[in-house]
Amino acid sequence: MYVKQISVYLENVRGTLREMTKTLAQNGVDMLALSIADTANFGIVRLVVREEQIPLTIECMRSAGFMVRMDEVICVQVPNKPAGLDSVLEVVDNAGLSVEYIYSFTISLENGALLIIRTNDNDKAYEALNKGKIKVYNQNEINSL
Amino acid sequence: MKTAVNKIYNPEIECMSREAIREMQNERLQKTIRLVYDKVEVYRKRMDEKGVKPEDIKTIDDLHLLPFTEKTDLRDYFPYGLFAADLKDIVRIQGSSGTTGKPIVSGYTENDVEAWSEMVARALYAAGGGEDDIVQVAYGYGLFTGGLGAHQGATKIGATVIPMSSGNTERQIMMMQELGATMLCCTPSYATYLGETVKEKGLQGKIKLKSGCFGAEPWTEEMRQNLENLLDIDAMNIYGLTEMGGPGIAFECLEKDGMHINEDHVIAEIIDPVTDEPLPYGEYGELVFTSITKTGMPLIRYRTHDICCLNPEPCACGRTHVRMSRITGRTDDMMVIRGVNVFPSQIESVLMRVKGVTPNYMLIVDRVNSTDTLEVQVELSEEMFTDTVSGIERIRDEIKENIKSVVGISVKVQLVPPKTIQRFEGKAKRVIDNRKLGF
Ligand SMILES: [Zn+2]
Repeated sequence: MYVKQISVYLENVRGTLREMTKTLAQNGVDMLALSIADTANFGIVRLVVREEQIPLTIECMRSAGFMVRMDEVICVQVPNKPAGLDSVLEVVDNAGLSVEYIYSFTISLENGALLIIRTNDNDKAYEALNKGKIKVYNQNEINSL
Repeated sequence: MKTAVNKIYNPEIECMSREAIREMQNERLQKTIRLVYDKVEVYRKRMDEKGVKPEDIKTIDDLHLLPFTEKTDLRDYFPYGLFAADLKDIVRIQGSSGTTGKPIVSGYTENDVEAWSEMVARALYAAGGGEDDIVQVAYGYGLFTGGLGAHQGATKIGATVIPMSSGNTERQIMMMQELGATMLCCTPSYATYLGETVKEKGLQGKIKLKSGCFGAEPWTEEMRQNLENLLDIDAMNIYGLTEMGGPGIAFECLEKDGMHINEDHVIAEIIDPVTDEPLPYGEYGELVFTSITKTGMPLIRYRTHDICCLNPEPCACGRTHVRMSRITGRTDDMMVIRGVNVFPSQIESVLMRVKGVTPNYMLIVDRVNSTDTLEVQVELSEEMFTDTVSGIERIRDEIKENIKSVVGISVKVQLVPPKTIQRFEGKAKRVIDNRKLGF
């Protein structure tokens, strides 16, 4: 029901992001989704890859000296129509949840875009989205993209 | 593996009654005061100035009549001014380079080296050591008392000594693994570094260490927990100082509830560092030592500037010698921030209680617009790292609030990337004071 996300800690030093993308490229990691959060002191890069590439991704990041962690997040399909995103957030909001971050996949499907959505409670969010008839993608579905 | 069991090297002395200890101290104190009065001009002069004669000192209750000895005395009377023995009877010199200028030295007669070896032997026994052990000494060898002190003690108990000295971490770990070392002697910060490296290399199951004696710098209970987990050992605290003859002045037993002071060799007092008045057992103050068996360079009422307290209660291990608490600070590395006394050890114990925080930190003191500031730099670890910015900020705020409630001042907390804070192989230097005091 959830999708695995890899987070990488980046120092706010020129060239660090490039070093990360270069390492991923050299190891043939195919990023399906990517977001960067940055603060005055540091940055967090979050990415989604196919399951078979997760060990490789973590290993190559660690050996390049990056701090890495893995979390489970929710991936939803947002209807390709006006107010599409709002209809998803309405469900989350009505369930009394708060959103930590949202970002979208680099590829979009015919019938809508794919979004990663992180709230303060995965299980509650999953339940609410299901009830609200929002299509939630699992890791297997992501793997075959 | 934690398999150390309590052993007592010299039960007759280490478990004697408090009355017998006191009697022994009275007698040895008289003898020592007579010796320094006769042989050390500085002491004779100072006692004469105070109007105190050797015969006035009958019991340890008369200690307060005697003058103090300061570290500066060891510099001022360098090299031989405080020696009570002729050089022909001095068999060893140890010392410390000192961070500023002149070094300090201590001279040992054969009797002193023997006593010192036994004090460390007692510490190693208390850590479960014996003739079957392989002791890796990773303290520096040389003038510094750590290396040779541990070496002599380990030799005394009949153990097999690996005299590695400090540094060269790769080789330390290789030898530890290949030779099957069962005990480790070094500074606690270096032991932590060794432990981290062992963990990184995935060698945790391949190390045979059961215990270790760690000293030469103050450390905390939280650092002990961390070290014990990293190496799966009993990590024991050992205390000493070059001026008093080196490590082994006091040591922990497996109860890990204070360090037994070798009271047949030294008398310990706690004084108020401001008024110089003696304080009763149980109160925190400055630790002061008087040598009562040394014949090379016995020091009278030596001010350690270390802050701790004493506990005379009998210990579950069977030893009766008084126990000193951990050193909670130094009268001279105490930082005064906006009028509040702050010890680096207080901040360290706060940090170590936060999940995922490693004992790698730096304290930066500065003065901005005539206000003192304290910045605490803490290394981020994978355990503290989260996928949200707010998660990381929460940890930073938690540290900040905990410091505020324990120490009583607001600090700036800066989380820095892993491995960016300097590692120390000897004494760790955790404070950088950028305040330009003066006019
Ligand atoms: Zn004990």
